[in-house]
Amino acid sequence: MSIEPMKIFFKEIKEPIETTMIGNYAVAGGVTQTDPDVVCAFPITPQTQSVEGLSDVVHQGRLKAAFVNVESELAAISYSTAACAAGARAFTATASQGYLLMTEGLPMAVGWRLPLTMMISARSFNSPNLSIWNGWEFTQVNSELGWNIIVSENVQETYDAAILSVMISEDSLFPTIFVHDGFIISHSVQKLTLIPDEIVRKMTPKKPRHTINTSKPGTWGGIVTPSFFMEGRANLEEAKEPVLGQMIDVFKRFKKETGRKYNLIETYNLDNSSKTAICTMGSMCGNIISWMTKNKDIGLIKIRTYRPFPYEELRKIVEDHNLEKLILLEKSDSLNGMLPPFSMSVASALYPLGTLFRSFIVGLGGRDVTRDEFDIAKKKVASISDMKGQLYSYLGLRETKDKIYGVD
Amino acid sequence: MLTPEYIKEILKDHTINLRFHARGGQGGVTASNLCVEAFYGYGVCQPLFGAERMGSPTESYVRLSSNVDLIRSNEQVYAPHFVSVLDPSLLGEIDVTAGLAKGGWLIVNTSLDQVSIQTIVGRKDINIATIDATRIALDVFGRNITNTIILGALIRVSHLFSLEELSDAIMRRFKGEIAGKNIEAIKQAIEETCIYDIGIDPDFSVDTKVPWQQVYPGLPGYKELDKAGVWYCDEDVIEMGSSQVNTGSWGEWEIIWDEEKCTDCAQCWYICPDFAIIREKGEDGLWHMKGIDSYHCKSCQNCLEVCPVDAISKKLKQGPAACAVPEEQEGGN
Repeated sequence: MSIEPMKIFFKEIKEPIETTMIGNYAVAGGVTQTDPDVVCAFPITPQTQSVEGLSDVVHQGRLKAAFVNVESELAAISYSTAACAAGARAFTATASQGYLLMTEGLPMAVGWRLPLTMMISARSFNSPNLSIWNGWEFTQVNSELGWNIIVSENVQETYDAAILSVMISEDSLFPTIFVHDGFIISHSVQKLTLIPDEIVRKMTPKKPRHTINTSKPGTWGGIVTPSFFMEGRANLEEAKEPVLGQMIDVFKRFKKETGRKYNLIETYNLDNSSKTAICTMGSMCGNIISWMTKNKDIGLIKIRTYRPFPYEELRKIVEDHNLEKLILLEKSDSLNGMLPPFSMSVASALYPLGTLFRSFIVGLGGRDVTRDEFDIAKKKVASISDMKGQLYSYLGLRETKDKIYGVD
Repeated sequence: MLTPEYIKEILKDHTINLRFHARGGQGGVTASNLCVEAFYGYGVCQPLFGAERMGSPTESYVRLSSNVDLIRSNEQVYAPHFVSVLDPSLLGEIDVTAGLAKGGWLIVNTSLDQVSIQTIVGRKDINIATIDATRIALDVFGRNITNTIILGALIRVSHLFSLEELSDAIMRRFKGEIAGKNIEAIKQAIEETCIYDIGIDPDFSVDTKVPWQQVYPGLPGYKELDKAGVWYCDEDVIEMGSSQVNTGSWGEWEIIWDEEKCTDCAQCWYICPDFAIIREKGEDGLWHMKGIDSYHCKSCQNCLEVCPVDAISKKLKQGPAACAVPEEQEGGN
């Protein structure tokens, strides 16, 4: 090939370099810099290039890792979890149906308190039709299993998330998923600044931890009777409590080394005249920020940490800025629930405050979310005065051949 | 005519959007990546999201601005100001001027004159630049790789970046000797670009996206589906399947069938992945081959391989797409 997308990572990166890359290769580069011992994943669109890129750096001898080919996502998560339990730093990646196939293996990494990291290139599930395009499948299943989940808006953020996730996993001893929107970020070329290898090494030291070890024999995941299981769950629950604090600490350390500032929740223009803000996450936040250059009477609350959900922080932000109304946008639906999953989390946080909101389902199966959707959501929420009736609706949908749903 | 100073001023508060049309394997996405790398400000490049196949029509988009907040949007490009077409065979197949605003620029790799292009695309309100990139590519590389050459024409009409900035980007991305040849070809393209300026510049302050075009109005709505995941073969509701796709335009060879030699053994019919071998049942009750469906034949040449009596042969199609691989290099990879 005359073009080598991972070329920049073949050599030691000595100083911050500005370059342009697609999201998936940027992740592969970030993961390379964190020096994993085991990379094991099964390819699925739109995640594929992240693993392809890693196979390239392993092939070049730049990354001394075991690159393991497996036959399925279930094998990938099982292998990665076991490798991590044996003491390796492990990385895996998936999307959509692959994430579903992994489901059986996902709780164990939490139960064993393993600092595994996984990338998800968010893609819709195959229902009612097959779609390889973007959607927030990761909010619809498995989000309560105990994995940390952070969501990125652009290529820079997803590159940084590859490194942040290792720091968060190592500090919290809980596995971490980092998500970017499939295709929209995974396949878009954007400018980003790479962190020097030396600094990444400093931020992600391989610290001693519990591993499967002959000098300290133990049972990992053995059977327990009703006399023990609940205590095990409560022990996990207690260990989860400090995780948000640990994440804030990680973000602070990251800012000190790189100058880039992250938080559990990032806010824009909240002290606006309409006391209204959009609350969402992922690549849509960028669309909204561009739209806000002409809509200065509206704010944005960008959730960076989806799990553990920062309930108290969100509540404090809404209170401190006296926000009266929220517009929730999400790329997932809930066929049975009162609200789709992201909105459900936000609504739980808002419950004591009684803040008014409406939730909008947008951008399923890769449909673009544009200023048309933001304009109409803003208009609809401006006229609400209570929490009666259905709290969510679709936006950007054809009702019939000649009618757009919800648009007069 | 746009000037470098004017473009710089526009980029402060507006975005400039580009679109590239090519065929899979011609490097349209690489060309759009290079725009982002060469541009001094902020930029985003997106391919048309989905699966790309060799020879199939592809699109990629670029959004450039000096204002970081405007570039932060991950919205797709609906209203390009500059459209570049790497393969002239696309002109008849794709609406290459879709969304292109009045006064926008259409840049085409072609040996045709601008008036002919104007007639083909049916637009009189746009500026046209033509460049015979295929000839330059064959001269310089010995292969029909036009993706960097078209950027020369883009520099000439848009002034979005300079030759020096583009050269730097190419040096970072390509291996030494290949980089040098590309830069040489781009220089030649800047000089040889033919410009047909109608005297109107695009209005960069107006976004001409049609409201809700991302929702594809006109297709059946959710209330008109029967069972969501089950699509019955009723063409009144939804046009079905890959038979709608002109895969015939992807290939560079025309496949020719010789009726005299054919023994109707049907081996080609079994092996054809696109059902492009046409057969009919004759009065004798037997099936006879009748020809090749050129709308669907993407010239994979499987039939040519299996034919036991050499009744099938191939011929390069006319036009630049036809010489994507020069004949003497055939079989080299």
